[in-house]
Amino acid sequence: MKPMTIPKAVAALLVLLMAAGLGAAEAAPKTKATAKATAGTARTSKHADKGITCAQCHGRAAKKELVPMQQCLSCHGDTKELAARTAKVKPTNPHENRHFGTEADCNRCHHEHAVSENLCLPCHKFHFKVP
Amino acid sequence: MSQDHFQEDQEPDQYTKQTIENGFSRRSFLSRAAGGAAAAGLFGLSGLPAMAKDAAEAKGPELATSGDGGATLSFLPKPKPIRDREISETLTFDVVVVGAGASGVPAALSAAENGAKVAVVQKAPFALSQGNTGAGIDLAASEKAGVEALVARLIADSNHRCNPKLVRQWAYHSGEAVKWVIDRAKQGGSPVVDQGSPAQRAILKVNGYSLGYVTSFFGPKPYTTGDGMRHLAKTAEKAGVRFFFRMPAVQLVQNRAGEIQGVIARGPDGKYTKFLATKGVILATGDYQNNKAMSDYFIPDVKHFGRKQLDKTGDGFALAYWAGGVIEPIGHTKMLHDFDAGPASMCDMPFLAVDRKGRRFVNETVEMSLLNNYLRDAENAGHYSQIFDSNYMTQAAAWPGKLVPPEGLKNYMPEDPGPKKGVFESQVNTHVAGTIEELARKIEADPATLAATVKRYNELVASGKDSDFGKPADRLIPVLQAPFYGIHRRVRVSAICSGMLVDENHQALNAEGKPIKGLYLIGNLGGGFYGGVDYPLTVFGLSLGRCYTFGYLTGRHVAKL
Ligand SMILES: Cc1cc2nc3c(=O)[nH]c(=O)nc-3n(C[C@H](O)[C@H](O)[C@H](O)COP(=O)(O)OP(=O)(O)OC[C@H]3O[C@@H](n4cnc5c(N)ncnc54)[C@H](O)[C@@H]3O)c2cc1C
Repeated sequence: MKPMTIPKAVAALLVLLMAAGLGAAEAAPKTKATAKATAGTARTSKHADKGITCAQCHGRAAKKELVPMQQCLSCHGDTKELAARTAKVKPTNPHENRHFGTEADCNRCHHEHAVSENLCLPCHKFHFKVP
Repeated sequence: MSQDHFQEDQEPDQYTKQTIENGFSRRSFLSRAAGGAAAAGLFGLSGLPAMAKDAAEAKGPELATSGDGGATLSFLPKPKPIRDREISETLTFDVVVVGAGASGVPAALSAAENGAKVAVVQKAPFALSQGNTGAGIDLAASEKAGVEALVARLIADSNHRCNPKLVRQWAYHSGEAVKWVIDRAKQGGSPVVDQGSPAQRAILKVNGYSLGYVTSFFGPKPYTTGDGMRHLAKTAEKAGVRFFFRMPAVQLVQNRAGEIQGVIARGPDGKYTKFLATKGVILATGDYQNNKAMSDYFIPDVKHFGRKQLDKTGDGFALAYWAGGVIEPIGHTKMLHDFDAGPASMCDMPFLAVDRKGRRFVNETVEMSLLNNYLRDAENAGHYSQIFDSNYMTQAAAWPGKLVPPEGLKNYMPEDPGPKKGVFESQVNTHVAGTIEELARKIEADPATLAATVKRYNELVASGKDSDFGKPADRLIPVLQAPFYGIHRRVRVSAICSGMLVDENHQALNAEGKPIKGLYLIGNLGGGFYGGVDYPLTVFGLSLGRCYTFGYLTGRHVAKL
């Protein structure tokens, strides 16, 4: 796997944007970024804006696959370090919880080609703004 | 004490016959979809290879759908087998357990203690389960007639639709199994305690016969059985069990004769590992509450309720179904609770109860565990509130249950700044207010509606008769004196407790009632133990107690094969 160029700090920054505000009690409907949606053509993508190609995340196979979490980590770094950086976030650390420890799949909340979502809602009143 | 009225039946029992006739297997699916007895005959277990079956499935006529168009069986097509060249590693064990939860971890340890080389493949990054209380019968402290009376009670709780043999198996082995879980979890560092008979006050006598209990308590919250199973897993590791985390099982390895030889799991890197099991694969993957298509199909009643678990997508159901197993007929048993918003000991106390808007909807002597049936619509979605006034400590003193005084209620109030103990802070939802309207806003009801409901309720109380819902007069107390209290509960799906057809060895049976060699199903994936509309709360911790017991027995059984 070729390392890419985004500094880890960017990931941390993106993740540190919490706030009040998301008043709605229910979570947004689940919008799974499917392999189809991520294939080729012009899509909004923060990564693409930084010059990262589709293949760097989705691989070169003809049938594009969902991005395994390890692919995220190969640039964004270790999950435990990330959790340590967000340890003080209120009301709770978004990167360490009882369900997954520090190993929640990034893709569960952070979407590249769709609106990100907050997996904690609606079970817990943790109103994060998910980058 | 023995189960002396069991004999080896040649004929399948009533439960098994019913489940074969009305349940869902690939055979029944194919015969329904393709509309022919021919299909049923052709596709016996040792029949056509998987690919041919898939082709037949794809060509079947369009499936019927539910009224909202959402429910079809389309979620269960058998995938193409993963080929050997896609496997990056193959490991061989005697026993492979899939799922490290309340049934899987005990099964793995039990198998290891009986001499087997054991692997556990687990979807989550660690052992994972939920709940606090697990129950077994202490046979030494029970009369045999008491055990049988409780068995009869549990069968009645299941509307007489369960497999009595499995209920008896729990009854006669659970004391030993739960004690064993407590002992082994302690060895792993768990603070688990045996709360014994006092935790089961209402069933110390059944039909006049005495019983004693072993009641494991993994708690208090936030410590749960999830932590408990992690501690138990430490003991299992010391006993030689190997755990493979973040490795969901995705397919079984089945030979042409239909025998299960192992399981294929996918690692976090996307690579497949094949785990061969010389003695058997034990699936312990829990329920399917997070699989929307499956839930809508098998238990549409829960469509609008929130879920208490995550990632329980019924993986084991799919695996066993693809292998020829039989899913219990539609109308599965559900478990919906909210023990967290306010004190658990007050959840069944018959205070005025109002729906999400603020309307009275029930004779409040109906237990919390059944209220979901009144709140199934999208608007209510399981939300209701218990309402009482400042005199509750005296006026409700004689009711069954245990009142928590105002000082203690603060522990359940999100608005109270004080430190919380023994609760999940993000789940507490108890409120106090000076007026009914203010209380309505806090419990998120409509103030005018709640005010009208309270006014009407107080009229009924004053008249001494509940002419709206028929609640007994001694359960009527007014809501007059400020401050007013509201516990905003929200029942969500704790578990779905129906599963797939098994025999008394917990071996999966196929649509002909024949055991599938090498395949065992335990925990909520195993069928036959319930059968009612709702999970019964007669025995506190029956669910976990049953999971431990069948894990303990099945691990031992498979290890000794
Ligand atoms: C909040 C809550 C409180 C509860 N309280 C109680 C209580 O006090 N008493 C009681 O008796 N019952 C209680 N219950 C119910 C009880 O927790 C369940 O019935 C019980 O845990 C079911 O055990 P199981 O072994 O079937 O599944 P689980 O304990 O859920 O374990 C299943 C395991 O399988 C793993 N898994 C799933 N898919 C795969 C796959 N493809 N590959 C590998 N692994 C997989 C999961 O990660 C999980 O660890 C409660 C439930 C909830 C939600």
